[in-house]
Amino acid sequence: MNRETRTPLKLDDAELRSRRAYFEINDEDLERLASLRAFGQTHLDDIIESFYRFILEHHESRVFFADDTSVQRVKRLQKEYFLGLFSGVLDVRYVENRLRVGATHERIGMPLRIYLGAYALYLRLLLVKLGEEYEPSLAGMHFRSVQKLVYFDMSLAVDTYIASYVETLGRHQAAIRELSTPCIRVYDRVLLLPLVGTIDTQRAQQIMETVLVRVADEQARVVIVDIAGVPVVDTKVADHLLKTTAALRLIGAESILTGISPHVARTIVQLGVDISAMYTKSRLADGIELALSIVGKRITQVAP
Amino acid sequence: MKGQGSIPILRVGSTLLATVHVELYDTVAEAFQQDVLLAIERTGAVGLIVDISGLETVDSYVARVLADTGRMARLMGADTVLCGMRPEVAATLIRMGYAMEGVKTALNVDDGLARLGASTGPLGKGRPA
Repeated sequence: MNRETRTPLKLDDAELRSRRAYFEINDEDLERLASLRAFGQTHLDDIIESFYRFILEHHESRVFFADDTSVQRVKRLQKEYFLGLFSGVLDVRYVENRLRVGATHERIGMPLRIYLGAYALYLRLLLVKLGEEYEPSLAGMHFRSVQKLVYFDMSLAVDTYIASYVETLGRHQAAIRELSTPCIRVYDRVLLLPLVGTIDTQRAQQIMETVLVRVADEQARVVIVDIAGVPVVDTKVADHLLKTTAALRLIGAESILTGISPHVARTIVQLGVDISAMYTKSRLADGIELALSIVGKRITQVAP
Repeated sequence: MKGQGSIPILRVGSTLLATVHVELYDTVAEAFQQDVLLAIERTGAVGLIVDISGLETVDSYVARVLADTGRMARLMGADTVLCGMRPEVAATLIRMGYAMEGVKTALNVDDGLARLGASTGPLGKGRPA
């Protein structure tokens, strides 16, 4: 458990207060926990040993502890964690520490169920020890305070897992967004936009903005929009394409629509969509030839 | 060549070059139109380049002023090209349904000059019907 592990979560004072209130951890609980510090010290080794015996007995948790050295290291950190329960302090630093612990477990890929199972074990071990040490009513009260804090810790751990999943999800969404609008430079000042998949309004909007920015950046004269990979071209899609063409024209670039299949051509005409404002070609090769002629180049046959 | 307005109009050969770098609100727009037309009359220019790469926003009023100026210049014999519109400006205008049909456009002043020089190219009269 590396100290530098970054936690994707931050908890401020207000959030900490409301969370504390929800778990009903009052100052009395913290005082009680502080008074149990000697108890914790006494049973520290015993509890940690039992804890790791359990973890190493079970295959699904054992795989996360490769060798003896790593077990020794986590045991030491586990002791720190355990004694932290009896510090009697619940501040932002405590929370940060707990969040880091959660983030570390998430990073090594430990499933949440294993993590939570270990917390449950912790509570069982503590309950046994408290029962041995104190008379039942007092042990019960002590246990309630410990339980509150352990559940509080668990909530933090779960939050770090969720935060990390949400972050991953966001990264993937960004990747998908980027993939859905590839813009390739096929020649000086000629861009190719091969569209694949269904185009909805949101995607169309994003395609338009991406293309406009790319065209301005590269000072492209022509954009070839290839729709061979678009399964359905309905009135809406055609409208989006026309809007993109109009916007491109405003910044001073031409657009060529290629990859129009017989089926799409028939649909467009039957729907009564007028796309005569765009250059259209059936094959991409023809589109490239036209684009090159716009930038003043020509493809010629040479003797092989 | 400075008129009453705050937008400078330069002559480059037989072409006029106006760089719009301030918001074209009422009085500025009117002075700009006036200056452009007087300059065309005075110089006999056959081309007008309006560079708007400095404009971060163009509302429908400004778009109309620009389009109208082009149309007026055309009547006086100067072909007009609007150059350097920013991508975000274009996206906004299209979203508002303002495609500025009939206005010639170019990416930058260089391209604008090229369009004026060879108006029979793909972007010029040879556009698809």
